Amino acid sequence: MSARGRRVRSVIVATAASAALLWWPAGPAQPAAAPAGHLTASTSTAIQSQAVAPTCTASLQPPPGPPTVTPGSWMAKIRARGYLIAGVDLNDYRLEYLNPADGHVEGFDIDMLHAISLAIFGDPNKIHYVGTTNAQREPFVESGQVDIVAHTMTITCDRWKSVDFSTVYLQAHQRILVEDGSPIRGVKDLVHQKVCATASSTSLTYLVQQGAIPVKAYDWSDCLVKLQQGQVAAVSTDDVILAGLKAQDPYAKIVGPNLTNEPYGLAISQAHPEFVRYVNAVLAQMRADGQWAASYDHWLGGPAPAPPPATYQS
Amino acid sequence: MTTGVAVAPVDSARGLRGTLAAGTTHAKLRLLLLTLLALTVLWGGIATWSVAGHASAASNVRAVSEPLSLDAQRIYRSLSDADATEATAFLSGGQEPLALRRRYQADIAQAARQLEAATAAAGQSAAGRQLAILSAGLPVYTGSIETARADNRYGYPLGAAYLREASGFMRGTLLPAASAVYAQENAQLAVADQQATAVPYSALVVAVIVTIGLFLAQRWLARRTHRVINPGLLVASVAGLASLVWLISAVTVASVQFSSARDHGSAPVEALAKADIAALRAHAYESLNLIDRGGDPSNQDNFASLQKQLGPGPGTLLTEAAASAAGSPGSAQAAAATRAAPAWYAVHRTVLSLENGGPRDYLPAVQLAVGPGPNQAGGLFSALDQDLTGAMAADQASFRTAARSGQDALAGLEAGIVVLSLVMAAGCAWGISRRLAEYR
Repeated sequence: MSARGRRVRSVIVATAASAALLWWPAGPAQPAAAPAGHLTASTSTAIQSQAVAPTCTASLQPPPGPPTVTPGSWMAKIRARGYLIAGVDLNDYRLEYLNPADGHVEGFDIDMLHAISLAIFGDPNKIHYVGTTNAQREPFVESGQVDIVAHTMTITCDRWKSVDFSTVYLQAHQRILVEDGSPIRGVKDLVHQKVCATASSTSLTYLVQQGAIPVKAYDWSDCLVKLQQGQVAAVSTDDVILAGLKAQDPYAKIVGPNLTNEPYGLAISQAHPEFVRYVNAVLAQMRADGQWAASYDHWLGGPAPAPPPATYQS
Repeated sequence: MTTGVAVAPVDSARGLRGTLAAGTTHAKLRLLLLTLLALTVLWGGIATWSVAGHASAASNVRAVSEPLSLDAQRIYRSLSDADATEATAFLSGGQEPLALRRRYQADIAQAARQLEAATAAAGQSAAGRQLAILSAGLPVYTGSIETARADNRYGYPLGAAYLREASGFMRGTLLPAASAVYAQENAQLAVADQQATAVPYSALVVAVIVTIGLFLAQRWLARRTHRVINPGLLVASVAGLASLVWLISAVTVASVQFSSARDHGSAPVEALAKADIAALRAHAYESLNLIDRGGDPSNQDNFASLQKQLGPGPGTLLTEAAASAAGSPGSAQAAAATRAAPAWYAVHRTVLSLENGGPRDYLPAVQLAVGPGPNQAGGLFSALDQDLTGAMAADQASFRTAARSGQDALAGLEAGIVVLSLVMAAGCAWGISRRLAEYR
């Protein structure tokens, strides 16, 4: 724990991105086959007939200056408790997953949590993880079971009705994962095909709209099991998740253009707007000081694109 | 003789009585001989048939039904244990503990062996289809587990997905099939057990009729011939009595032994097995809850409901198993199991509070849950499991001994009844023919 703790802290504390970049390539968890080509090449691809609906990505404006724990705020309560309670998935490779080798939860989304923990406690590891399925994300935030959900969660206008979101911390796009030799090239080929997606995901809704036969799974890695066993013809969800699946299967490939825009946000209870502002301040800091890019390079394969810009409600 | 023919329809009875009254003593003696021979044949036939039924039921219980039921129960146990062990091993990280790996392998090997034995014995029975599901499914399960293990070693979360799939297949398909086999084999054991311990009413009714027949024949002969004793009929009576006493005592001994085999053997084994399987399932959910980091509350809910079923307490599986095992060789270990369970639950509660207690406590919670020490959940569960399996082994041995004694009690009885019936027939023929000779 302590060695890893130091490593994470050293990266997050580092204000000079160069120091982090010098250190990272020697790190034991450096991705073996960075899925860079799939992510960066596709982001420039035009989104087909989407993005007409309002995106609802504007979040609450943080107060000026560095993130501050004000007395009586929810952050002060978290600090008094001694740890942050975070709802995460444990199966999304490189985004948020349980590393079987040491039992630690890690990934790009987890780095966002480390930064928040560091800001509140001065220690990036004061986080208690609660395993959270896609379907449990909103209920866990609403019931106060968790302070925050970091779980590849797309910001939608609909979800704003039940939870608050941070600013966008990662821009993903729905794409298609198939095994080598599959005739599927794009979304048109999915009609009447069995396609795997997790329950309560925006990907599932999209697949139903496109005429695919949706096959529900518990987690995205369960979709890869189904794909490997030939139970489904394809898996379709966000490129960053698919890249994590592809990294675990050399015979999987991501095909077709970007299908949708999936702006990811951290979900927080509507009861704690001050915590939303605080988290936005932390994210703003990460964008500015190069931590965001360093995490992206490490987990998702560099070179990192520009971080998604923060937009705030007026 | 009137009693002997009283069962005949009225007309023919009147006719027979007329014949007896009108006919000569010679004719009456010949009719008596025929009637006595018929009764002897009836006794020999019914008694042999009845004994054969008991003997075959006894051999069925001892050699077929009980072993099959035991096999089915052990298949279920091995598979549940494999599932629980693999979940615990997974929780321990990419490099799973060697002891757990060996336990899993032993479970799979044992399940395969028992599956083979059960399939060979089941033949065309109803259990055959379920056994086929198990035979086909076991390699699918182990295949998924090995894929999970390989992915786990690479550090891929895909391993967890394969484990979930394997475990879901185990709990959704294989365990229900094993449970169905067990239910069917157990029902057959109950039927065979009932046959082996049944009272042979038909033989007893015939015995009463034959006794009355022989008594009346000798009284009639004594009055007619003014000889108190007819040696032939006396021999027949002694042979008949001997066969009856042998039959009653052998069947009684067999019945007592088989009841004992059931009450101190197969019945406690069944109750203990139920408790053991519930404990195994609870242990699996304990691990799954930690693997999921408490995100899925159904794991802890299932643990809690199984804990409630297990007990100890009135009407719970452990208490019932201990009550069922009372007086049997496994009673001490069964009682120890009821005492071991609360210690496990107490540590489980500590695991839960650690797990929910914050980030620093998660890995200690895992250690406490999987650790084999005497104060860790893994060790305490193993102690409970060992108490239950030890009690089952002791009671199983008790079953074997009692069932063998029961079967031994019936040995030779069938042949004995045939021989004694022949002696009876010879006695009747000899006794009556001597009187017949006097009237020539």
